[in-house]
Amino acid sequence: MLGTRRLALFHYWVAFATFLVAIVLGAWQMLMRSPLPAPLDDPAAYYASVTLHGTAMAYVVTTFFIMGFGYAVAATSLGRPLRGVAAAWVGFVICLAGTVMAVAAIVTGRASVLYTFYPPLLASAWYYGGAFLLIAGSMIWIAVMIVNMQNWKRENPGRPVPLPMFAIAATAILWAWAASGVLIELACILLPRAFGWSDLIDAELGRTLFSVTLHAIVYFWLMPAYIAFYTLVPLAAGGRLYSDTMGRLTFIMLLVFALPVGMHHLLADPGHGSGFKFLQSALTFLVVLPTLLTVFSICASLEVAGRVRGGRGLFGWIGALPWKEPMVLAVGLSLVMLGLGGFGGLINMSFAMNLMIHNTSWVTAHFHLIFGGAVVIMYFAIAYQMWPHITGKPLRSKALARTQLWLWFWGMLITTIPWHIAGLMGQPRRVAAFDYADPLMARMGPLVIVSVIGGLMLLVSAILLIVVLIRSHFGEKAAEAPLRYALAVNPPARVPASLNGFGLWNSIVLVLMVIAYGYPIGQFFFLKPHSVPAVEVTSQTSLEGRP
Amino acid sequence: MDHDQDASKLHNPWPRFGWWFTATLVIVAAVLGFVVLSRYQQNGPELDLWTAICRAVGITADGAPAGAPQPPVRTSTRIAWTAATLSQIASGNAKHGASVAVTCVACHGERESASPIFPTLAGMDATVVYKQLDDFRSGKRQSGVMSAIAKALSERDSADVAAYFATRESGLAPIAGEPLPAGGRSLRQSDPGIRLVFAGDPERGIPPCAACHGPGDRKLGAPTLNGQQAAYIESQLTAFAQGGRQNDINQQMRGIAEQLTPDEMHAVTLYYSGRSLSRAVQTNDPATTQAHRPEGL
Repeated sequence: MLGTRRLALFHYWVAFATFLVAIVLGAWQMLMRSPLPAPLDDPAAYYASVTLHGTAMAYVVTTFFIMGFGYAVAATSLGRPLRGVAAAWVGFVICLAGTVMAVAAIVTGRASVLYTFYPPLLASAWYYGGAFLLIAGSMIWIAVMIVNMQNWKRENPGRPVPLPMFAIAATAILWAWAASGVLIELACILLPRAFGWSDLIDAELGRTLFSVTLHAIVYFWLMPAYIAFYTLVPLAAGGRLYSDTMGRLTFIMLLVFALPVGMHHLLADPGHGSGFKFLQSALTFLVVLPTLLTVFSICASLEVAGRVRGGRGLFGWIGALPWKEPMVLAVGLSLVMLGLGGFGGLINMSFAMNLMIHNTSWVTAHFHLIFGGAVVIMYFAIAYQMWPHITGKPLRSKALARTQLWLWFWGMLITTIPWHIAGLMGQPRRVAAFDYADPLMARMGPLVIVSVIGGLMLLVSAILLIVVLIRSHFGEKAAEAPLRYALAVNPPARVPASLNGFGLWNSIVLVLMVIAYGYPIGQFFFLKPHSVPAVEVTSQTSLEGRP
Repeated sequence: MDHDQDASKLHNPWPRFGWWFTATLVIVAAVLGFVVLSRYQQNGPELDLWTAICRAVGITADGAPAGAPQPPVRTSTRIAWTAATLSQIASGNAKHGASVAVTCVACHGERESASPIFPTLAGMDATVVYKQLDDFRSGKRQSGVMSAIAKALSERDSADVAAYFATRESGLAPIAGEPLPAGGRSLRQSDPGIRLVFAGDPERGIPPCAACHGPGDRKLGAPTLNGQQAAYIESQLTAFAQGGRQNDINQQMRGIAEQLTPDEMHAVTLYYSGRSLSRAVQTNDPATTQAHRPEGL
């Protein structure tokens, strides 16, 4: 168990250290694009910073956090040592090397292509190589997760896989499908061009492959939050999970509906017909099924806990919940942000409404609210919950942790709500500096300043997080308590094979992917080659001299 | 639950539910996206279903890469003054032409046209009428009424009508045999109309009008203008200048008219229509006096 703990701890620390650096950049970017004066007022630095912030938050923080979380969950939920610890360390080193390569390329100004690195923008091969290693290294994690679940199933025939393990395996399989798009794009389109093996770059094909990853990666980030909802929250609240089957169905549906839907990120792209865009938009909407199922299950589980704790009446159970527990507080705040962000997401994924907000600040505000808010606040709560287990030392201050969570919640709302409004007013995203003397932009100035205040609150909250984790890490030893997961109200003795494994669901995903992406990707090979000259963004000087 | 221990068997409840749900979902979304959206909502009723589906898939008729633009093949006219054409015209039967021309004279008149916007044809050289009819027929010269009439005529009819108008006397003055204006073909003429008609403007590369249209000289296919309707002459000069009329074989009229100022066009028109004051005074040509018309025409 000690090996697994160290493994998880190393992953967590890489994630949170990167997180702190990236959030400092984020705060500076907020300042830079506001009417307020900002230090280092340089557009080239802004684009490099946005690239670093996005790459760090979207790929590094999430991948390392989820890998660490997965190792911890696999070891604790199966109740036996993790298989494949050595392979896991190899994966860790590969991912870390990839991170260093990518960061070095960005910091030296040779990769200001933003974290989506859409061609025909072209960065240094070091950046693409680093991103490839980071993502490919996480494939080892996927293998470790699947091997551990399969081994356990073989040794425990007929018994249901514990829900946390089932869910983290769903996460791993989801990531395997999702990462295939960006890995193929990197290996077959971006790296060959960056190495100079080809002159042109197939921009539309690259974007289409990236869209396979781009939406599913969001659900990959979301999964740990949902796993916490189902397996940690009910226990922290002092109750039980309302339904084990609902949990399994939720993770299965997230897996299936995460994948054949990415083209709603390409609704304004000219390379695809409206039929496929609509098809994938329609499939995207089905994410409401697992989402509403989860909201229902979690509210029901919390009600069970509240009533066990003596809550009475229609709403009395809410007050009876242990809101001083970081995990319980976090789930409340998370669900509020999930609700607000979810409704915004319905607009983004709608084939017709998307055009109103396409490429505006609305989109950036949306994913900050739903990922940076609803999901990341659960990462914090998971860290607080797991820290005593993996360090063997108790959390030093729950009060400070609660302050941190509240600060994060309000900071995120104050940042993103004006940001949404500015987007509706037409403020474009990914722009370094605005002319606030222009009457059109002047109306947005006050909104952006409010966002900056929210951004500073987020920065303070992130510093508090690190303070709490470091203080606990170096605190005195205490008797360690094993990490436990919530039991269901009716623990399953047996479950159908379809809800205890992923064979059926992988087959369905395969069929859906062929239907949704077969023609849109295939057309580039036989109908319309879209190769165009690349636009190299490999030095900061290339950005200078532009107005 | 023992009966559901194989996820690959379709008769088990979860696989059955999973596949049915997936199939229904895809079919409904595909019908909405590829048929309803593309055919009935987005494009409109003129699009047939198959084309609409192709568009929804991303295949459009205009999807092919744009080729180099191909300008339409364009010639001024179909007529060339070959021996065959000339003999065809020469064989025109004026008698038969008179019966065909019953329609023509309603506008163009037996002696002179009924309105200043229609050209007088009586006395016009046969080659001119024959060529213009062919140009109207082929669309080389644009006119709604004349195109329709010309298309109803055969080449034989055209030659006959041309012969009929050529034999009409007392319409337009004959090109040849007219005396020079007083002062001769001189660039020193004070009247700009007379100067352009008889001397042109060599510095601008404008030949004298009379070199083709008379008086005194003629070229094959060029109409005699002496006594022509003023409004008609001016409208044709404007049409040549602006590209509205392009059936001059060597582009000579386009080249000349483009260079004329509106005042010069007017002066030339006044001369040929017989209303030029100096011409009336300085020449004693009986045809000129005959071409004098009351104001207002």
